[in-house]
Amino acid sequence: MISAILQGLIEKGLFERIPATFSTFFLEQLKDWETLFPAEHRYFERLFTLLDRLEAAEFGGLFETLRAVERQMGVNERNWPRRSFTLDQVDFLNRNAHYAEWRAEIAKIFSRLDPVLDRETAQRGRPRFAAVISPAELPVGPDRLWKRLSGKRVGLETPLDPAEHLAPLLGLGEAAPYDRWLIQARDDLSAPKGVVSLGYDALAAYRKRLMNEVQATVEKEQIRGPRELGARLKQMRILPGEGAAASDPVLAEFTRAVLLAGNGTLLINNTFVEWAAVQTVRRARPSMLVAGFGVRNKVKPFSSLLIFSDQEKTNPIPTQVDTLGTYVDLEIFYPYIWQEFGKYAEYQRNTVFLFAAEGMDEAMVLAPPDFTLPEKVSPAKLAGAVREWMQL
Amino acid sequence: MLSKRDFLRAAGLTVASRVATRAFEPKESDRKVIVVTFGGGVRYAETFAPQGLVNIPRLARLKAEGHFYRDCRNLGVLSHFNSTASIVTGNWQRVDDFGFQPPASTTVFEAFRKERKAGAMDAWAICTNKSFASIGSAAGAGANVVLPKQLLIEAVKDVARRAGMGVADRENVQRRLESILQEGYEGVGWTIFKAGRQLDQRVRQTLTHALVEYIHGPEAPASGDELTFFIAREVMREFSPRLLLVNFWDMDVAHWGAYSLYLQAITRTDRLVGMLWNEVRENAKYRDKTTVLVLPELGRDGDMNTANGFLNHRSGDASCRNMWLLALGAGAEKGETERPVAHIDVAATVAELLGVKWASEGKALKEIA
Repeated sequence: MISAILQGLIEKGLFERIPATFSTFFLEQLKDWETLFPAEHRYFERLFTLLDRLEAAEFGGLFETLRAVERQMGVNERNWPRRSFTLDQVDFLNRNAHYAEWRAEIAKIFSRLDPVLDRETAQRGRPRFAAVISPAELPVGPDRLWKRLSGKRVGLETPLDPAEHLAPLLGLGEAAPYDRWLIQARDDLSAPKGVVSLGYDALAAYRKRLMNEVQATVEKEQIRGPRELGARLKQMRILPGEGAAASDPVLAEFTRAVLLAGNGTLLINNTFVEWAAVQTVRRARPSMLVAGFGVRNKVKPFSSLLIFSDQEKTNPIPTQVDTLGTYVDLEIFYPYIWQEFGKYAEYQRNTVFLFAAEGMDEAMVLAPPDFTLPEKVSPAKLAGAVREWMQL
Repeated sequence: MLSKRDFLRAAGLTVASRVATRAFEPKESDRKVIVVTFGGGVRYAETFAPQGLVNIPRLARLKAEGHFYRDCRNLGVLSHFNSTASIVTGNWQRVDDFGFQPPASTTVFEAFRKERKAGAMDAWAICTNKSFASIGSAAGAGANVVLPKQLLIEAVKDVARRAGMGVADRENVQRRLESILQEGYEGVGWTIFKAGRQLDQRVRQTLTHALVEYIHGPEAPASGDELTFFIAREVMREFSPRLLLVNFWDMDVAHWGAYSLYLQAITRTDRLVGMLWNEVRENAKYRDKTTVLVLPELGRDGDMNTANGFLNHRSGDASCRNMWLLALGAGAEKGETERPVAHIDVAATVAELLGVKWASEGKALKEIA
């Protein structure tokens, strides 16, 4: 059941006034209201309230070009029923000769709406904190670990122990629902009460079941590509024995979506951590996030072709870790996570980022100028600085 | 505006030009063309951008020997099948992304075979993804399509199920590869045109020989692209097709999100393209009469402002659409071209090189004669 605000706007006919390719997508999203995060609820309410507030001329002008592009694309009632958004419509868009124009026009519309929404968000802004932890096994020192970022290197009084330096930060003050996240490759850290915890290793049973199902579905059914596969597996929710997320419909769906995103989240621990972190920022907009990477295994000859198979079973060659490969993988993931925060008004100019590596006595900080740390940082001093920054 | 070739023709300089360029421009009937794609998609950033050259040492060297198009664009649907189908048809394709439909217009393989009365062994496509089974033909007789990686996957799957050393024993893999090949190509999605019992037997022997070479390769090859190379080379040695598409694919591992594996795959493809070029130069049936066109099938999303950077290839940003094309060998003037060209120009260029009358959205590249 969607919110009264949105229900009112639907009944008022707002969605009928909006071009079909725009409104249908959002109507479909609203169908999943119960599994959306509070931040997403607020966003949809604000977006459509803003559209409803526009003067008729402004509203018409905003969508005028999109309507023209839709006509060129051949969008009509038959190929684009307003109340349902299906894979056929995704295909229709992707394969349409005017897809690039459509995409550009959608971007243009949001470039006009977003600044208004962002101003509102910024007015209610509050300080935020994110930490990204690298595993101890990486073969380089702090001078080469975060080459694609430009931050300030700070010394630690003792080598970084995530359990001492970072886990306590998640427990500072009181956490609102879905506002603090711990995402990790291994199960190294335990999350304080009220913190959402997702772990690649912790989800092993669910991942294994999904991989078996994906493999069986691909082999036995005539699946027409990854999107159809995704739809086919949409009902594969996490079961109670497979992880704590099972007891929360929002987190259960989030976990399923992250693992079945079509990329390597099922296969590679660090891809899971990166994509889960990116999706958390994009969707839940937490005020605090700690993401911990691990070490990826080396790809085994031949058996790695069977991507959904258990490599321990299909290949007798002993599993080896790929520390150098992991270093290269993470080098690009650090900025991907960092820049994802920067896309949203909630995080701009008020977020402290700490990049650190287990066992290393240096870290990198990217922060607004008014965030300060002492010359040498201890777990207590870090907690103090973060507490002060976040006004907890 | 007249191209240099048009001008020479119009000015009656054909005799002089033949004399001057005989060593480089073979007779039309001898001409061979090999199109090599970095299938799966690769970005400029990891290839011909200054920071990417380290990943492609061989192509970086070969660039000086051929003609380099700095700006080759894929303006079509940014999916694998549609991208390669656009390359081989010369028209932007908008068919089913996953190969459930053949290309919507005639492929250059079909036009070549029909117009030049070329035989069944004269056009081959050595590809990777299962969806490429129909890449050779829209409706008529086109290229034989071989999907080495699919064969490898089937063999590995069977071997892995068994106890013992399984896939760690390369002989096991070889035995199963050969056995699947004997059982029939159709099971692994291949399309090989029937050409009589004797020739069919020769095809089977050729492919089997490639498998043996692969398994016993000195560098212990294990990837799909390496098998693609061994099969392409064996097909060249045995049948000398005049038109060959080699579609490498290992770099699509980028979808897994392991940047290092993506870079390794690019470097492997670079090595394999170098080996293929060596074969062209050393094989008398190809030397001095073959034009090789190398290009990425598509790019991948840029690092900034996209859904997830190099992992995907659907954003439509410049990183995804703007790539390069390197022409090597017969008829490829040394030099570089700045003006934008497009994927659909490849089929028209191939058709012109092979003396096939051709009409498509794409236009032949005038720097390649």
